[in-house]
Amino acid sequence: MSEFISKKDLLTWLGQLMEERNLVAPTRVDDLLLFSKIDQVEDIVFDFDNTTLSPKEWFYPSSETLFYVEQKDGQTELIPAVIEKETAIFGIRPCDAQGMAMNDFPFLEEPADDLYRQHRDKTALIGLACITACPECFCSSMGSGPHDPANVDILLTEVADGYIAQVLTDKGKALLPDNLLTTADVSSPPAPVLSEVPSDGIAEKMRQAFDEPFWDRLADRCIHCNICSYVCPTCYCFDVRDYTDKERIERVRSWESCQSPGFTRIAGGHDPRSTKGSRLRQRFSHKLLYFPRQFGALGCIGCGRCVRACPVNIDIREIIQDVQQLEVKSEA
Amino acid sequence: MDFSEEIRGKAKELLESGTVDCVIGYERATDGVGARPLFVYQPNDIDRLIFDQTCTHNLTKYLLNRKGKATAIVVKPCDSRAINLLINESQVQRDKVSIIGVVCPGVVKAGLDNTSGELQDTCRMCQQHTPVLYDFLVGEPASEADVPDTYPDVTGMEDKSAGERRAFWEEQFSRCIRCYACRQVCPGCYCPECFVERLDPMWVGIRIAPEENEVWNTMRAFHLAGRCIDCNECERVCPVNIPLSLLNRKLGKEVEELFNFQAGIDAETAMPFSTFEKEEKLGISE
Ligand code: SF4
Ligand code: SF4
Ligand code: SF4
Ligand code: SF4
Repeated sequence: MSEFISKKDLLTWLGQLMEERNLVAPTRVDDLLLFSKIDQVEDIVFDFDNTTLSPKEWFYPSSETLFYVEQKDGQTELIPAVIEKETAIFGIRPCDAQGMAMNDFPFLEEPADDLYRQHRDKTALIGLACITACPECFCSSMGSGPHDPANVDILLTEVADGYIAQVLTDKGKALLPDNLLTTADVSSPPAPVLSEVPSDGIAEKMRQAFDEPFWDRLADRCIHCNICSYVCPTCYCFDVRDYTDKERIERVRSWESCQSPGFTRIAGGHDPRSTKGSRLRQRFSHKLLYFPRQFGALGCIGCGRCVRACPVNIDIREIIQDVQQLEVKSEA
Repeated sequence: MDFSEEIRGKAKELLESGTVDCVIGYERATDGVGARPLFVYQPNDIDRLIFDQTCTHNLTKYLLNRKGKATAIVVKPCDSRAINLLINESQVQRDKVSIIGVVCPGVVKAGLDNTSGELQDTCRMCQQHTPVLYDFLVGEPASEADVPDTYPDVTGMEDKSAGERRAFWEEQFSRCIRCYACRQVCPGCYCPECFVERLDPMWVGIRIAPEENEVWNTMRAFHLAGRCIDCNECERVCPVNIPLSLLNRKLGKEVEELFNFQAGIDAETAMPFSTFEKEEKLGISE
């Protein structure tokens, strides 16, 4: 027996959520699929593989004011940004939820990023298990899976006429009233079959491959367009700048990428990652070597977005495979 | 159409004779359907080269990473115009590049295979089926296309009111994520320091938000006016599908009407915006 919510009740519930908090869900914008703030439940897309951009925008926006500094009566005052309203994200996929959990490592380790923490605390995740998958998905090789309930507050799995509902956390309990749930004798559909990637032991292989010419050859075709970082749920580099006028300074943070030429250029003009190969290696080393070393988990969750979006087909699945098979000439 | 064998033959000849030490072409992508750029340095990689109607990328941008090094490159007609542009702007040395030009019937839409025959929109409006510049030509030179209307997309837009056009572009630019992929892929965008990253003077801030996006998108378009060779690469790569070619083609059309000039047709004629003739008054009163 499973707990069940009918399609009709789900819509009613989402309508209620929309009244009391921000409701964010997949929507169609031209031919893109984007997480957007919902004004009417009719705009929500239920039938999709995954969104074009990741949901990280809702925890770590593409641009965000960190704080203001104001002059008042001869005093200088720092006014931090405050997130007022609660948010519920409907339709997040298990891989992306895992991605947000990965971002907690760098953002919430002390000293924590206060704004990120506010977004995280005020947001509930209503996950949708994957019934189908894109050809590029490989989450089950990266520590998650299409039905993984680990990182959401509620997980819904579509069955005939409705959804199996797993209420997994206190946040989830507070969100979904018991009276909308019934018990039903339905079983979960099989998980889709995904591409398999040999990720076991990849961190050590990445370390050994560090000085290989492999990276320069791979980077020949990289155009350093940043797309992979911007679509990725677990890329979190940023740039910070102050916007000043007479009375006020506003400190703004915006997305940036380790792939952009000049990202590591420092005063005096030196750039420790000046070659294309060293820049490209950084992205994959961060996901597959540095992140696991520092936090104990892979930094890539296998959503496949960078594979789909890279204009020159730099494919992390192929890279993992190639690095596993690389004959390393000398010990790094 | 499949010219893979011809391309491999040429690549082998150029590499083995030592004429070049790298051939930039295409190979099959990991989806088994599309193509991706390939750099061939060793004769034993030559068999990876392909050329068919999935070979969308304009590879000429890569020449800027190989300045002064003898390089062979596979180009379609639109791509060949970019080489003229780069020679004219002193970015590429003609004698260092061996150009393998391909007669091109157009490339297919993303995700479709070589046999699908469903051409990209720009290819359906394309006037040029034989490269304007090459050392070796693959395929039979085509009698030039007779496309009745070169700018149906632009005139369609011009028919709209200023308000409608404004609303359209505001909507499009608002979803720009300022990844700068359009710039990174563009053969005409090679400034060592792009205006968008300059701190002093700061032309535009780092905020990814409608007002600043608009500055970025319009300034880039103006920097390409009379220089864009209409390869559609910027539009192809844009991760949020902004119809950038529509904007660049509008400026191309204006330049064509005002100066009777199209970028990259030859390497000698200077760009309208890098020259000034006394008689060009352009409506500025005496
Ligand atoms: S999306 Fe591809 S081309 Fe662009 S920076 Fe990433 S790996 Fe390089
Ligand atoms: S690296 Fe690519 S596949 Fe991995 S999480 Fe990021 S976008 Fe997804
Ligand atoms: S490629 Fe698209 S999203 Fe990226 S900067 Fe250019 S217009 Fe904006
Ligand atoms: S602006 Fe776009 S279409 Fe024009 S040359 Fe650059 S990439 Fe090609």
